[in-house]
Amino acid sequence: MMTTFAHILASVDPAQQGSAIDRIKSFVDALCAPYYFVPLTTLLLVIALVSYKQWTRPKAALLVFVAFTVFYGASMLDEDFFKIIKKPDNVPITMMIYFTGFCTWLGFRQAAVNDDRMKRGEPLIESGADDKVLVWPDLVYTELIALVLCTAFLVVWAILLKAPLEPPANPTNIPNPSKAPWYFLGLQELLVYFDPWIAGVLLPGLIIVGLIALPYIDKNPRGNGYYTLKERPLVISVFMFGFVIMWCVLIVLGTFLRGPNWNLFGPYETWDPHRPAALLNINVSDVFWVVLPEKLNVAWWKPGLPSEASFGIPAFLVREAPGIVLLGGYFFALPVFLAKTVFRKIYTQIGLIRYAVFWLLLSWMFIVPIKMVLRWLFNMKYFVAITEWFLNV
Amino acid sequence: MPTVEMVTKVWIAPGCIVCDACETTCPEVFHVQHENETCIIRPEALDVEFTKPLTKTIIEAAQECPVDVIKYEVAKFDVSDEVAAKIAGGATAAPAPATAGEAPAAAAHAATSTKAAPAKPAEPPKPKVMDPAIQALLAATTVRGGHVVIDRGVAGMPDSVKHLAKLSPDQLPPDGKFQRVLEKAKPSSEEPTRRDLLLGAGWTALAMGFGVGPLLAFNRFMAPNVLEQEDPKVRCGPLSKYTSLAPGDVNEDFKPVKPSGFWIIREEERISALSIICTHLGCIPSWLPNDRKFKCPCHGSGFKPNGTNFEGPAPRPLERFKIYLDGDQVIVDRSKKFLAMGPNDTAVWNDPDASIPV
Ligand code: SF4
Ligand code: FES
Repeated sequence: MMTTFAHILASVDPAQQGSAIDRIKSFVDALCAPYYFVPLTTLLLVIALVSYKQWTRPKAALLVFVAFTVFYGASMLDEDFFKIIKKPDNVPITMMIYFTGFCTWLGFRQAAVNDDRMKRGEPLIESGADDKVLVWPDLVYTELIALVLCTAFLVVWAILLKAPLEPPANPTNIPNPSKAPWYFLGLQELLVYFDPWIAGVLLPGLIIVGLIALPYIDKNPRGNGYYTLKERPLVISVFMFGFVIMWCVLIVLGTFLRGPNWNLFGPYETWDPHRPAALLNINVSDVFWVVLPEKLNVAWWKPGLPSEASFGIPAFLVREAPGIVLLGGYFFALPVFLAKTVFRKIYTQIGLIRYAVFWLLLSWMFIVPIKMVLRWLFNMKYFVAITEWFLNV
Repeated sequence: MPTVEMVTKVWIAPGCIVCDACETTCPEVFHVQHENETCIIRPEALDVEFTKPLTKTIIEAAQECPVDVIKYEVAKFDVSDEVAAKIAGGATAAPAPATAGEAPAAAAHAATSTKAAPAKPAEPPKPKVMDPAIQALLAATTVRGGHVVIDRGVAGMPDSVKHLAKLSPDQLPPDGKFQRVLEKAKPSSEEPTRRDLLLGAGWTALAMGFGVGPLLAFNRFMAPNVLEQEDPKVRCGPLSKYTSLAPGDVNEDFKPVKPSGFWIIREEERISALSIICTHLGCIPSWLPNDRKFKCPCHGSGFKPNGTNFEGPAPRPLERFKIYLDGDQVIVDRSKKFLAMGPNDTAVWNDPDASIPV
């Protein structure tokens, strides 16, 4: 069925579509360069957060939905895009995009209504709601029906789309690109920027531990058991950034924009494994010891990485000192500074230990976008690269 | 004689937000403990005779509580007209409750009985010290098996608490938070005994058995399940086969060799064997002859023809295997590796075993 669809699509003569379409495509491709894509989606999120009262109105949301579906459907006319979409592995991505959109809408819609009611002094949606349900028969029947429907859906899905089983591993024939299952593509994207133990162990661990720790850090009862944005704007924004941008958007990026050799491609670009892409990455130590002195060109500072131990400090520590100072400042000095200024109120409210945990989570969350941007803009590789200790941050 | 409803029991359900409202309204009964982040009922107020006359203010406090966690029970009592009037007016009853009257030394107590006089006393900000009566009660309290047990014989207990101590723990109000406060008192009141020590040792041994054993098993499970019986030495043919490579070229013949393949590369002056394992996370890069680089399909690391990492996340150059000549035959020995620590840190490659000079 999928293939017939593809044939129908292919029979629409691409040459007849004119160059206007091509221009739109290359424009979208250009927008999907990661240094536009991630900031743009972040901007969209910010707009969505600010104007949540407007766009969540059912009519406006329906408009957004229809517009996106038209765009998505029209994109399928493009062969390269359709090739990505129709892979059985990637079908859940389409579902994810729609579900994330729907759930975001639902939450913000409720928040908008509640915030409005609060302003007018009316009771909230949730007030008076009795969340007790009779186990028998109400709950059991509901669960049974849900169970049957889900099973039916999975069976149909499994029959229609074949599981993407591949031949046994063979070092001479490696899938290129080699992609993780769709739900891990965000993590795989992180691996491009960090050492394996950070991207593969520490960051996912922090996500889980962090989600568990949140209720102990933030004990503000506002927003407990009812939807609101007005009462908790900051917390909700930070969470939405972490979930929508740092997880979902990265999955979308990994699915649509990463091609052979893990190079970046626009969604409508052909995946050409031979497309040249030069990415000469440099460490902070290179910038400090080589690039800077070369630029400054002063007599007392000769370019060159330190290669000898000085004062009993091994050479690699001297070499990485600038990066260590930067990271140390970010992880240890910045929180102290913030606790005295911007976060003063938070700090006094939650105390030292909870503040430390809070900063641990926040700093690791934000080092991800920081490093991504540095990589895209300056080809920055590692702040600190001590391979001897498996420490590459 | 008129019948009046009076509060017989008051307690606090979990969820107090420490807002001070109740203590402002009715300081005789409620005591907000910011350090414990809850509000508790003063021990002396666990008595019917004490709460009865305070009915009006207690109910007021309960209604004022923003999170509605103050719960109380009422019962009907027959009282004389004047008492009824007094209760309706909210003033504290003249016949002071027996326990409160007896309470001697406790400072908080003295304060209570004087403060109780006006209908709604404006509370001066009080220093937040723990009520001595509560302290005594906590000192006399232990929790065993989830039940609160009050030691009846502790000396120096205020009378009001003595009266409480006579009650069985079950008669205490179902004050969830209060029990938590009681539990807090536990460690200070229990000396470790030999029994505890043995018990602790037993539990630790059990935990080790159930925890460490599986951990070891898991470790084995995570290790690759392969038999390393393959000869680490691979015979790669005559040297002339590789001297004919142009500098910067790569021979891919031994990429599929198990368990670990390699490329044979030609540099200006030497021939070496590069492991095919990406130094980032262990994928297998492909050699792109047109771009003259190795490129990893997993996260995009790129390596120059001599194995130096220059693109993407890989922290180290590709590893090199020992390579040597046996007569005219090139032999690669995979049991010895040469690890360069960074693109600028490749001195190990100059080891005579790491390459064959040409
Ligand atoms: S009024 Fe309620 S919330 Fe406030 S301190 Fe008293 S019990 Fe706690
Ligand atoms: S495994 Fe090769 S780049 Fe990550």
